[in-house]
Amino acid sequence: MKSNPLAIKTLAFFLIWLLLSESFDWLHVSMGVLCAFGVAWFNRSREQTRFEIPRARIVWYYFWLVGRILQSGFHLSKLILHPSLPIDPRMIRQRTKLRKDAGIVLLGNSITLTPGTITVEVNSDELEVHAMDAESAEDVTSFRFDEQIARVTSSKETA
Amino acid sequence: MTLIEWVELYVMSPIAIASIVVGLFFLFVAAVGVLRLPDVYTRSHAVSLTDSLGAFFVLGGLALYEGLSTNAVKILIVLILLYLLNPVIAHATVRSAHRSGLKPWSREDA
Repeated sequence: MKSNPLAIKTLAFFLIWLLLSESFDWLHVSMGVLCAFGVAWFNRSREQTRFEIPRARIVWYYFWLVGRILQSGFHLSKLILHPSLPIDPRMIRQRTKLRKDAGIVLLGNSITLTPGTITVEVNSDELEVHAMDAESAEDVTSFRFDEQIARVTSSKETA
Repeated sequence: MTLIEWVELYVMSPIAIASIVVGLFFLFVAAVGVLRLPDVYTRSHAVSLTDSLGAFFVLGGLALYEGLSTNAVKILIVLILLYLLNPVIAHATVRSAHRSGLKPWSREDA
């Protein structure tokens, strides 16, 4: 039997609907079926993207990232509220040693998510980062993120 | 009063309220930042502070206040989506500014 992606998607969306709506009368359930099918049909031509299941270490990485975000967030708040506004913005160009697309996406997103640094441009393995001051820039130039992500994505990568 | 009710009233609620207040503080800082900072690049740093810390504490506090319920799960889904979308939006804004040739403000210009 050939698997039908439309049916599988509809079923998955419908299960999510049931979990979140908590109401099982015929009106809500039938609306759920309609919506699930509508969304699945709308996305029928979207190509299936293969994605690797990340290593369990990624959970630890997210906790580490929240810690970094808190630390840089307090630093940025201090800069903004300081009466003399002691900012010193700069652009940094940096090559990353990460090779996989997933790793580079995770790196760019993590840098942007951390207050005080924003990824401006990514050219295959070179990142252009805008940083608020020297201390924010140090987050990126120290390759802190690269090291952590290299441990998450693959054991073969070196950082 | 059962133990669970007691914990919800005297432990979880104060933590949740404190968390929401901290989140509001960061939202305030972000608003001040948007007004004080000199150019697009620096201002988008302030804007992304709203999502990464403001929304984190406010929504986290709301989820704690709800306790174990589907509402808390919904709030957490919103939080996860925000954390995925916020960097993409900030990056798109800054990249379009960069590609249209806007020079970042620096100390020497002041």
